[in-house]
Amino acid sequence: MRSRNSHSMSGDVLLLSALAGVAILFSLGVLVSKDNFYSSLFMSVTLIFVAAVYALFNLQPVFVLIVFIFVGAIGVVTVALAATYRSEPERQVSRFWIAPVVITAFIIGFSIYSYALFIPQPVSPSEIEFELVNFLSITEYLLIVLFLISLVVLLLLSVLKIVIGGRS
Amino acid sequence: MATIDILSVSVIYAASFAILLVGYLTALSSKDVIRLLIALEMMFGAVFMALIPLFSIAHLANAAFGIAIITIFASSGELLILISAIVILDRQKKSIYTSAITIGGDRV
Repeated sequence: MRSRNSHSMSGDVLLLSALAGVAILFSLGVLVSKDNFYSSLFMSVTLIFVAAVYALFNLQPVFVLIVFIFVGAIGVVTVALAATYRSEPERQVSRFWIAPVVITAFIIGFSIYSYALFIPQPVSPSEIEFELVNFLSITEYLLIVLFLISLVVLLLLSVLKIVIGGRS
Repeated sequence: MATIDILSVSVIYAASFAILLVGYLTALSSKDVIRLLIALEMMFGAVFMALIPLFSIAHLANAAFGIAIITIFASSGELLILISAIVILDRQKKSIYTSAITIGGDRV
């Protein structure tokens, strides 16, 4: 007879499913959106969620490569290109959708959090054991993380400037 | 750290195929080359996702990391070339619509 734990999904699988589901939803946004600017933004968010799956499996080097090379460089160039050749600057979705979206996201997030918190997770023998041993000391690692966060803020500022410039 | 079992692998491959399919549909329905570029980036995103289970094999982890680095840089270079091709197309044809492209391939 199999135990109850073998039937229940672990929190990790649930988190993985949530990340993959959100990535698929954003990719559908690319297909549905008629404006190339929003499509490129949805595409960037999809790729960030794909990179987040790497982070979930503790593969931070690949996460950094995807987010900063692929999304940070190519993705932002695509966003800029789409903003340059933009033909429909008006908003497609009403602002009234913000409230139901926030409420739904809160309910889904809290249910996933409470599910992972209250149900014990089964122990699986296979884990990804990839790590860069002694690649950097912890202080240098934190410094690099700080630099990468500031780089993300700079990248987002440029995208924000394009959005504000497009409206005015 | 998340454990990678057959369920996780199934979720990863299903999501990868879904993103790839959306990328194909976007490419098929694209009327301009920028949308084609976005679709191509989505397809590369699906490929990156499909690489994750390769890291679960212990003696292949470093090789998988090498494959991931090569894939990321090769696809980035390919997309940069496509971006420059879009700019050149706009300068030559004064249009970025795919209908402006009437002939393709090398001349023999």
